[in-house]
Amino acid sequence: MFDTLLNLTARGLSTGAIYSLIAMGIVLIFQTTSVMNFAQGNAGMFITYLAFFLLALKVPFPLVIILALLFGALFGGLTERFLMRRVRERSHVGLLMITLGLALIFEGLAASIFGTFPLNFPPILTGPPVHVGPIILSKQDIIVNLLSLALFTLLFLVLYKTKIGIGARSIAEDEYGARVLGIPVFNIYIFIWALGFALPGLAGILVVPRFSLEPHFMVPIQIKAFTAAVFGGMNSVQGAIVGGLLLGVLENIVAFYYPILKESFSLILVVIVLLIFPTGLFGKRSQRRF
Amino acid sequence: MKKTTFLSIALIILALSLPLPFLYMQKPSIVGYFNMVILFAIGTQGLNLLLGYAGQVSLGHAAFMAIGGYISAILVMSYNVNSLFAIVIATAFAGLCGLLVGFPSLRLSGFYLAIATMALGSATTDLIKRLSITGGDHGLRSISPLKILNFEFYSEFSKYYLFLFMMVTIFLLVKNLINSRSGRALRAIRDAELTAESVGINVAYYKLVAFVLSSMIAGLSGALYAHSVSYLHPNTFGLGFSIEFLAMAIVGGLGTIWGPLLGASFWVLLPRIIGPRLEYLSTVVFGIAVILSVMFLPYGLSEIIYRLEKKMKLR
Repeated sequence: MFDTLLNLTARGLSTGAIYSLIAMGIVLIFQTTSVMNFAQGNAGMFITYLAFFLLALKVPFPLVIILALLFGALFGGLTERFLMRRVRERSHVGLLMITLGLALIFEGLAASIFGTFPLNFPPILTGPPVHVGPIILSKQDIIVNLLSLALFTLLFLVLYKTKIGIGARSIAEDEYGARVLGIPVFNIYIFIWALGFALPGLAGILVVPRFSLEPHFMVPIQIKAFTAAVFGGMNSVQGAIVGGLLLGVLENIVAFYYPILKESFSLILVVIVLLIFPTGLFGKRSQRRF
Repeated sequence: MKKTTFLSIALIILALSLPLPFLYMQKPSIVGYFNMVILFAIGTQGLNLLLGYAGQVSLGHAAFMAIGGYISAILVMSYNVNSLFAIVIATAFAGLCGLLVGFPSLRLSGFYLAIATMALGSATTDLIKRLSITGGDHGLRSISPLKILNFEFYSEFSKYYLFLFMMVTIFLLVKNLINSRSGRALRAIRDAELTAESVGINVAYYKLVAFVLSSMIAGLSGALYAHSVSYLHPNTFGLGFSIEFLAMAIVGGLGTIWGPLLGASFWVLLPRIIGPRLEYLSTVVFGIAVILSVMFLPYGLSEIIYRLEKKMKLR
């Protein structure tokens, strides 16, 4: 009984790490530019397709991951520079619609360039599962956990120790104040959007071996990531990480004992969170911006 | 838009659309496309009311359409309810679902509604897949066509006129709502929520009204869709279709009464023009159209018509 729970928790953590990666992108973008980015899931899907074809060209795996991150950063930077920046001052709902339009473009491009036939994406590491005490984990899960742990640490260092991260956090607090103090707001926006598109690309590559690669595979993951972000609190990066991990673990345990609730669990969680504590686990009650 | 222009546009569109099926006497499939345009125009009008006039984003519009469609189809097929009555019940039930979802989420700030409706959308399709009465993953087949008194709306031509009548009714209702006291309250909420609150508008109440009305219209459109296409599958109504609904509303023109019709025609007819071989390219074109209309044409395709009118000194 206890061993089963331990195993479920360990596997749930690796699912949760993927939710956290995407949720973190969502929260970073929401905090600084107050836009919900709906293009993330499909952008991640598109980057995964690119990675698939790089792998087919016999490019080594670590290089593929780096290239995928760069592709994501490029998409994000271009989006911010040429789409978001021009609309930001005019309409707020417009920003959200641009991300929806981007989601459509990525989906259509993937379907028309690569086709809708499901493809098999290889995991990073194959081989027999590893036994750690009573826990049995596949090598892929371990890699996912280690990589996300490394990324979380790196991102926290960036956010709290570098000038660009401190600038980003000051924008989250008060954009006009930050501008007055001479913080390069627009460059930081580009950085945040690049990050927000690179993270789901990596998450896509890490999670795709569990499914098969087709143009819709990121949609349920994106919904879960939004749930995780709301669960942890939309205005807290720590919240996104903890929320994602908790969601992954809870979902895995619930799905094991009540399989019928597998997909609906995140909805139930969202409703409970919205009704009881709308600011999430870590969120601060924010003041309305004018 | 002045009252006279609305009437004149309505009359022009009616005059153009009444004899339209006779042009395609030999090709009922083309009339079928027009039927789809009208159905999606009705559904999009619901979203336009919510997003264009009240400024609230919903990502679960297709789920309400699915609820309406399935309720109506099941009532007719399993319980032998009169189909007209079934459509009324389906519409009311979609409204009830809207009330249940909107009540907790509309009291919070806007983006919570987007997330709650997105979760609703995925949960609805999931639930439909698991229930047995809805046919599960096989979908619901051979739904009987609409029947009023003893007349069966079986051919595309008869459906066309019925749907046209429905669309004109819904558009008129929305138009009148927008120009009423409640409509002004909704537009005030969209433009400046704080100001609206401070002049005594019950913001939460009016948002909820808009949300319930929008889900009712979506339910009606779904019920008509079910009896028209006679096949329902849960995958049709996923998150992707909700996003496409939003895109239709945006491309047609948010906050304009004829926008939904334009957006729906764009969405239905574009893949036919591009051709079946490049089917997915139309999604790309559609996404680009969304971005372009956000960046350059805040009122979408309606704005093009408006500018043309201005150039030709029609007003």
